[in-house]
Amino acid sequence: MSLHTAPPPMAALQAWLKALGSIENEGNYGHLLLEQVGVCDDALAAALRPYFESAHLDAREYFHRQLGIDLHPDGGRAAEVCYPNCLPETAKRGLFGEVMAGLVTEAYQSEFVGSHQWIVPIFLFRNHDDVENYLWALKADPGRAREIYGRHGTDFVGISLDAAGEVARMIVGECKWRRNLTESAVASLLYGPKVENEETGELERDGKGIWYEINRDSPIPWGLRQLQRLLELKDPEGYASAIYSIDRAVLGDGAKPERTDMVLIVGNGAKRRDEGDCLIGWEELPVDYTAGYALQVVEVILKGGEELIAKLYSSLWRGT
Amino acid sequence: MPARDADRLALAEGVRQSLGIENELTRPQARAYVRCLQTTWQVPTIVWGERESAQQLSDARRLLHSAHIFRSIEGPGSTRAVDCFRRTGEILEWLSRAGDNIRSIVPIELLAAAAYQLGGLPAMATGLLDQVESEHEGVLLYAAFLQANFDLVLRRAMLFWRANGDLTTRNASQLLLDAMASEDPDRGVSWGFTVELIRCLGLVADCLRRGDDGRLKIAMAKLQALDGMAARTFSDDAALVVGLLRQVAEGFVAASIYKPLRALAEIRPERTSLLLSYARDQFSRGRGILWTSQIYGLDRLLREASFALCTPTGSGKTLVANMAVIKELLLREHDTPLSPLALYIVPSRALAGEVEAKLNAELGGEVIVTGLYGGADWGITDYWLTSERPVVLIVTVEKAEALLRYLGALLTARLALLIIDEAHQVVPGASEEVRVSFSDHNNRSIRLEMLVSRILSQRPDVVRIALTAVAGGASGPVARWIEGRAEAQAIGVRYRSTRQVIGVLEATPGAPGRILLDLMNGRRLYLRGKEDPVYLPLRYQPMPQLKATWRNSLNRFNCLNVLWNALHLAEENQRILISVAQEPEKTMRWFKEALELDTWQALVRFLQPEGDLRARYEEACAACHDYCGPDSFELFLLERGIATSHGQMPQRLRRLMVEMIDKKICPITVATATLTEGVNLPFDLIFLTSLKRRSWDAAKEESIVKRLSTSEFRNLAGRAGRPGAARGIEGMTLVALPKAISATGNGQLQTQRRQMRERAEDYDTLRRQLLIEQQDADVVDSPLALLLDCIWTQANRLLGIRPDDFLDWLEKTAPGDVSDDAGTGSTDSHARLADVMDELDGVVLTALEEVVLIEQADMTPARAEAALRALWATTFTAVSAARAALLEAAFIRRGVGMIETIYPDPAERRRLYQYGFTPLIGRRFDAVASKIRSLIVAAGNYGDLGAVARIDVFENIGTLLQGDRGFGFRVRATDGDHAILANWPRLLGWWMHEPGAPGPDPKDLRAWQRFVADNLEFRLGVAIGAVVAGAWSEGVPDATTLPSLAEWKATTRLPWFGFWARELLRWGTHDPFVAFCLAQGLAHTRKAAMARRAEFDAWLDGEIGNPEAEDRIDPQYFGRWQKSLPRQERSAAMADETQVRLTGTDGGRERYPVIPIARGQATEWLDPAGFQLAVSVDPNRGRVNRWRSDYELHVSEGRASVNRVFRPGRRP
Repeated sequence: MSLHTAPPPMAALQAWLKALGSIENEGNYGHLLLEQVGVCDDALAAALRPYFESAHLDAREYFHRQLGIDLHPDGGRAAEVCYPNCLPETAKRGLFGEVMAGLVTEAYQSEFVGSHQWIVPIFLFRNHDDVENYLWALKADPGRAREIYGRHGTDFVGISLDAAGEVARMIVGECKWRRNLTESAVASLLYGPKVENEETGELERDGKGIWYEINRDSPIPWGLRQLQRLLELKDPEGYASAIYSIDRAVLGDGAKPERTDMVLIVGNGAKRRDEGDCLIGWEELPVDYTAGYALQVVEVILKGGEELIAKLYSSLWRGT
Repeated sequence: MPARDADRLALAEGVRQSLGIENELTRPQARAYVRCLQTTWQVPTIVWGERESAQQLSDARRLLHSAHIFRSIEGPGSTRAVDCFRRTGEILEWLSRAGDNIRSIVPIELLAAAAYQLGGLPAMATGLLDQVESEHEGVLLYAAFLQANFDLVLRRAMLFWRANGDLTTRNASQLLLDAMASEDPDRGVSWGFTVELIRCLGLVADCLRRGDDGRLKIAMAKLQALDGMAARTFSDDAALVVGLLRQVAEGFVAASIYKPLRALAEIRPERTSLLLSYARDQFSRGRGILWTSQIYGLDRLLREASFALCTPTGSGKTLVANMAVIKELLLREHDTPLSPLALYIVPSRALAGEVEAKLNAELGGEVIVTGLYGGADWGITDYWLTSERPVVLIVTVEKAEALLRYLGALLTARLALLIIDEAHQVVPGASEEVRVSFSDHNNRSIRLEMLVSRILSQRPDVVRIALTAVAGGASGPVARWIEGRAEAQAIGVRYRSTRQVIGVLEATPGAPGRILLDLMNGRRLYLRGKEDPVYLPLRYQPMPQLKATWRNSLNRFNCLNVLWNALHLAEENQRILISVAQEPEKTMRWFKEALELDTWQALVRFLQPEGDLRARYEEACAACHDYCGPDSFELFLLERGIATSHGQMPQRLRRLMVEMIDKKICPITVATATLTEGVNLPFDLIFLTSLKRRSWDAAKEESIVKRLSTSEFRNLAGRAGRPGAARGIEGMTLVALPKAISATGNGQLQTQRRQMRERAEDYDTLRRQLLIEQQDADVVDSPLALLLDCIWTQANRLLGIRPDDFLDWLEKTAPGDVSDDAGTGSTDSHARLADVMDELDGVVLTALEEVVLIEQADMTPARAEAALRALWATTFTAVSAARAALLEAAFIRRGVGMIETIYPDPAERRRLYQYGFTPLIGRRFDAVASKIRSLIVAAGNYGDLGAVARIDVFENIGTLLQGDRGFGFRVRATDGDHAILANWPRLLGWWMHEPGAPGPDPKDLRAWQRFVADNLEFRLGVAIGAVVAGAWSEGVPDATTLPSLAEWKATTRLPWFGFWARELLRWGTHDPFVAFCLAQGLAHTRKAAMARRAEFDAWLDGEIGNPEAEDRIDPQYFGRWQKSLPRQERSAAMADETQVRLTGTDGGRERYPVIPIARGQATEWLDPAGFQLAVSVDPNRGRVNRWRSDYELHVSEGRASVNRVFRPGRRP
């Protein structure tokens, strides 16, 4: 069984990040600013390593299992691979953001909107290159419109169980890493990249950013269904009630679990940023968020984050 | 069981109940289907919004999730999961065919097809995917996989490898890993995943069709791992498709035909390779993945000997029968000196042809398969009798009866397997007709019941298999009968291979046609009175106004309106059957006359086929010209792409017409219901021009109106939309109804209004009846019970016999005591009762005489009682009827009475048995039998006679029959038929191809054909056959003598004419050589066969010099001449071994499955997983259809070569 079990390294987090949380909008909007105060050194990487290994363990097993089967008729030459270490840097940074979402959710739940008790039994790591482009067309076609077959799905899902073990609430997150969290980079994240307006000839945001994705997500994200599938495989007894309650949610039978949406942005602070500055306002619920659930925004502002990521990911399953 | 599983099942059940019950559609589902149909037909659709699409998609997802719950808790066989998958497939299919924009979310046809596969509806998956026109290579590859079309999967995979040669190298896996680790956005994890998925599917496809379980396991492990990875890393829909592909693949692995065949091979391990090549051949025919019904059937076949398999037409029962043939004939050791034989009983001659062709294509190399096509009782060659190879005889009940009389002891000794196709036909139909059919001695149910029962009582150890359709509800009794166990159950599977839509084609003068849709698979498409009716308005020009004389017949107007629409629909590649209830010649004439008009002629856009099919079409035209004449309606229509078929058509022409339909040469067919009895033909649309048949009872001087029964209608509708055969997924059966009168003059108004009303009422009645589901019944009517009951009720009613006296009366009363008109075809009630008694006597006498023949001991009342008691126990009646004890007593008492009182003379009983008529008629026949025999004996010079003199021989025999209404000629009580009877020698001359003999006017052709079929082929043929069989029996030293052509003349002491007579009557020729050529396929028409006569005569002169009359028609010489003809050379040079150079392997495994891809002058030999192993240079040699073959790379002692190890066989 390879469920995620490692606890967040609380002491290391407290030394590393300063937390500034707020709950507004009648308790429906939470904002948590995590600013780096400590250093990104080997000790931090070592402290984070067990959590990251635990988060990646399931995907690693599957990746290895898949790659370990060589279909060549002469066989016998299983590829030497070490996931996720082998991935390119860009991919690792994406994964880092997703694990950070879980880590922050578990570690700072008392600061989160609603103060629910969140658990992340397993991590789903979304691969953000356009799998459909390959799967359906059997070739990478740069000229083809991206995403014709719809959205990728949620980056992150956590759950909160009630006394009976049923899913009482879920937290569904969009998690994004950017090396430099400049105003323009954040606008791109939230509102989509700039494209030329055919009528005016001006560059405008295409509107397909985080808010767009999060607002159009289905009430029961399919990610929850996939989380359920993994629970069924890995611990059907232990999570029997959670599994049942997800059935109920997916089949639309009875009350749905409550929902919290999360937007997590992680990266290096912009040069001109002052301490305490926020990328998304903490005082008011962002007007672009229209899905109507409780919303938790998390900003993780680092210095030299990419070095930390490189250090951390090169140490996974290699550390002592 | 995890704690909440019961709760989970309850949730899933809630969804199934509300959305997925098999025979119910929710209103939104019905609307979605209607919209889909309207879109397919390109007509305006019902009002439909995006929210409705979203709701349907959401329902589909909920059903999929419920299916997941059922499967994960109840196992892969969960029937509730099957319900959910089926409905998911339907909803997604309807959305996808409606061109919904949800297709932008995921290739929805793939999801639908996967759901159909998992729902056990592979034909629906195939049908749907056949419509997919994707621009995406990947979608097409997965579609091929979901269709279980493994040849195509490999072809598409190989196209991919050809385009991506860099991925076929030995270290390609490493290249991919390197690419994944690089920052190149076009070569990331997803690309690596996709490449591995293609490797996997190619390998799975190849391993499945080769039966390579070792590598299949590896490929499946990889697929499972890929699925696990997709579930974690990919978007929802991509992961869903991969997950479904994995589940479908697991289903394929479980349902591979190799599995049961390997199990069968354990019976006789030395024949394993034969079975494995059979399995491979099935894959090349697209039947390697077994359907649920087949898995159940084969499971029973492996565990037990006899059983009944009860699934609807189109669910692949034939395969189970073929496997039974393999098991019983090829795998079992038999201790008899003669090779084993299987008797395969089919309900019609047409079906015999179809089964024969299929079996021959698949098993022809191992067993002799013969339908004894033609007229002679044991065929015109004796090879199946004398060969050491096992034999499958495909016969109708009538043919089987005749064979048993001729060769009973031989056949029963060799019999190893009895297969009864369409066994539900043992249940008789509506009772009044059944009573009449008993007295007319043409009831098929009782023939079938008694034939099988006799075989079972004589050979209780013989293995028997009944194949039946669910319809009729007799599966329980049929299973008990076949297995001989009170607790036997039929193997039944819910299965529909196609979707059936029933509705109306409305005809209004001057307006375009309109289709009203009513039912889909027995479910209402709209609520009458509450919702708007569902229409498909047709977009064609309305039919031009007909001439006044034409439109004065509402029926003619209606029929022509059908043709008008059919001609337009045929242009859209629809295959159409116009089914007429009666008088097809009238409809054909109307069609011909209409098509002679300019406006109609322009609609006929039929193009003669090209290539191989051209020859078949020309052969059909030639045969039509030959048998129907140059001015016939049949030929006129065939030349315009309209095939015709009815029960009276000569057998050869009927076969060719079926081929014109089957090979999709003719887009339109006009036929009576006999075309579709048990025969699978590809129609998209069936039009019925009437739901009634009318006939005239001359005795009572009243018209008899008979409605089409629901079972007849269901059988017909079941022919629409055959899987894989038709263009669309659904078959439509439309009843043509006029919505306004066609006449314009006052005279016809009232009549037409009444006719219109009646037609509408007929349809409403039918529609209501179709909504009532057929139920399986435990007690059903059985023929013998009905026969006995009929005697009892009529004896009581007409003669006042009381219940207590009935058995005594029955034991002593001869049919002649009841009516002087017995055995004359009289419709008088007393005569009918006597004839029913005579029918019973026939049943009893046949049974007892066969016992005498087997046991070689005289029959006594006590032995008769014991024999009949034993026979009774094996009847269908014993297991199906109420009051069985009473009926049994009556049956036995009659038998005892036969021996003691009614037919006490054993020699007479033997003769009567040989004749094959019922005993009362047989007694009268006895008087003419010797005269017929004398005429046959006198025909020793037949070979030298001219045409007229030859036909005179038949006329002389026919004259002996023409006056008797029992064994002699019989016609319907119409003036036309009486005129034909009075003039029958003229008709004989025409039929037997007398030079210059005038043929019928085209409108009389069918009446002539009817006389030929009923009286010349049948009655005259039966009479001659009875005499010849008698001569054979008298001549053989004992019943087990093996008949052979060499001994035939000496044994029968008859000239060859006796051998040929029935064959000549069947083919319509006076020359045995012509019959021989036609039967052996050496000529296509009688004229062409006659043209070969000179060829044979010259050969004969050279062979024996001065041949005599008998030599000219000696079948042994015909056979030798045929053998002397040069054989067609095998077309393609085999060239099966190719030298190759190894490139991507060290050859350590010595044998490698490989697949060729051409690249310029070279062929690259790839492992199915996409790794190049070797290369050869073989410019353009034998490159046709290579992806359907299997190749193997051999490496030994430094030499590498590729061999073709499997080549796909011919498709029937």
